[in-house]
Amino acid sequence: MKRNLALFAIAAAFVAAPAIAQQTTLNVVTAGDQNMVDYIKDFLAPRFEKTNPKAVVKAVGTGPGDSGSQKIAEKLQAQKGNAAWDVDVAVIHQKMAGDLVREGLLAPYVRDVSTGRLVSSEASKNALGTNVQGYVIPMFQSQTAIAWNPALVKNPPKNYEELAAWAKANPKKFGYNGIKGGMSGVAFVVGWVYANTADADKLMKGPYDANTKAKWDGALGKLKEFNRSVVITPGNAGTLDMLNRGEIAMGPVWVDMFYTWMADGKLPPNMRLQLIGPGMPGQPMYYVIPAKAANMEAAKKFVEMATSPAVQAEGIVKKFNWYPGIDAQHVKSQLDDKTWNKLFVDVTPQELASKGKVFPIKPYFDDILESYERKVLN
Amino acid sequence: MQDRGRLGVLLVAPALAAVLVLFVYPLGYSLVTAFQAKGGGFTFGNFAKAFEFYSVDIGFTLVIIGVSTVLIALASIAIGGYLTLGENPRAVALLRWLYRWPLFIPFVVAAQCMRTFLAKNGLMNNTLVSLGILEVEQTVGFLDWRGIIITFVWKQTPFVALLVAGAMASLDRSTIEAARNLGAGRLRILFEILVPQIMPTLVVGLILSFVTMMSVLSVPLMISGESPTMMTVDMAFRINNYGDYGTANALGFISYLLTAACAWVYLKRAVRQS
Repeated sequence: MKRNLALFAIAAAFVAAPAIAQQTTLNVVTAGDQNMVDYIKDFLAPRFEKTNPKAVVKAVGTGPGDSGSQKIAEKLQAQKGNAAWDVDVAVIHQKMAGDLVREGLLAPYVRDVSTGRLVSSEASKNALGTNVQGYVIPMFQSQTAIAWNPALVKNPPKNYEELAAWAKANPKKFGYNGIKGGMSGVAFVVGWVYANTADADKLMKGPYDANTKAKWDGALGKLKEFNRSVVITPGNAGTLDMLNRGEIAMGPVWVDMFYTWMADGKLPPNMRLQLIGPGMPGQPMYYVIPAKAANMEAAKKFVEMATSPAVQAEGIVKKFNWYPGIDAQHVKSQLDDKTWNKLFVDVTPQELASKGKVFPIKPYFDDILESYERKVLN
Repeated sequence: MQDRGRLGVLLVAPALAAVLVLFVYPLGYSLVTAFQAKGGGFTFGNFAKAFEFYSVDIGFTLVIIGVSTVLIALASIAIGGYLTLGENPRAVALLRWLYRWPLFIPFVVAAQCMRTFLAKNGLMNNTLVSLGILEVEQTVGFLDWRGIIITFVWKQTPFVALLVAGAMASLDRSTIEAARNLGAGRLRILFEILVPQIMPTLVVGLILSFVTMMSVLSVPLMISGESPTMMTVDMAFRINNYGDYGTANALGFISYLLTAACAWVYLKRAVRQS
């Protein structure tokens, strides 16, 4: 009996083998935290495999922050000479998108995808100064803001100037993670430079002028002074941890992380957000398809599904608290008002429009970080 | 005979290839790129930049790891000494069972634990407050340079203590007994009889710890966001934010030099002794 079973198993394997051979494996490589990999593996993959029975989605994560995108870029650069590349769909940060388009490593796939018509945001055309229209569809839009604890703060500051005064009056009660521990700290510093120099517009739109940074000494000197009365936290999660334990009363966070932590019970539900003026940066992550993706057609279908209003509503907004990547009006109709409004309790759509900034163009971005290292850390 | 020679080469070839491909090649590559300009020519620019931006961090790294190494030495001598000279068999057995645990915990996990343990309102302070030892207002967080040292010492002491305790156990006990008979106290026996004899083992353990700590990124990154920070964090930052492998490799080169200097001191000592 046992032997029969074994034979049957072997026979079954042979019968099944041709079916496996016909399957296409779609490699979806994503930068970002584990939640990005989980989103693709647990949410997108089953949906895609249901409508495309011959496809198997393989989700691969390359790690958080720009370094994750950097790894994807290096992988594509290394395969440049090959006929077919083993990355079918990639999810990357804004900073790397421009480089990849300029190097010709991405396919102009948006015209072939029906959901391409649902995106008209600035982020879908311009990635830190590079024209990326046609090559990218935003997966979501993310935003930084100041999280504050109403038990310890009565009137949260409305702009950077008030915040600096508050931090001075309440030493060690504001915390951020510097520039080496994650993007929420970087965003705070970028916002500081926007607020304290006259160059904000130029930094966001260009053109680049290497002499601009010489005018930032005053702003960075003030930031050095500011740093003396704040806590430098270990990482994006470090800021949230310290908020949660009541060690700090305020700190910059990513809005989506903030809501996710709150939903998981890792932050008290009374915590609030304040998007301070003149503004703090946010960034999208993009779905891109490499120029020589091995499974180009399946890749396009995958992105089309992932950027459809239903998936954006259910996955991006409801499940992960991100702002949608495609234009909001297409997503709003898919959701009940309660879910939709949850995203906009503390940060209203008007505020998001007026104070949600983009990061600077890449050379200025590098200049800000290097100037911070030079003037604030040394 | 010739066949056996060939067979020998064949046997060693996979291991040799692995060492060449996975160790010698990347090492050589990183050394070369430390001296390479963006365009490809030879330059000292990467080193100039490394020193301009990170000289404080290089000093900080040395101080942190130096202090950690000294503390590890003291702690492992204390553990080894008690295991060898301790008179309460239960306490010795308990210590022997306990002290090795951190050996099996990776740095990143140790850092994650310390992050919640050492925070201002973390596990340690909350326990002290609930025991009435501290007031809430008196608590201090250790998530800065002190936290890095605590984590390093906690994680590396068992490794050195394992070597030291082993060396002490294998010593000829008659010297200890002789000293005891002549009335020497335990502390005196430890520092005048045991430690001098196991010195070479202790130094090897400390050098290996030093080199290991030089390479750890997770601990400084997760424990302390403050500045100055350790060289590994700067290397990661250079690569992740600027794609600047040149300066990162220059920093790597500097850390090779530091560990090489440390190894050289040891080798010189070993040669002199033999």
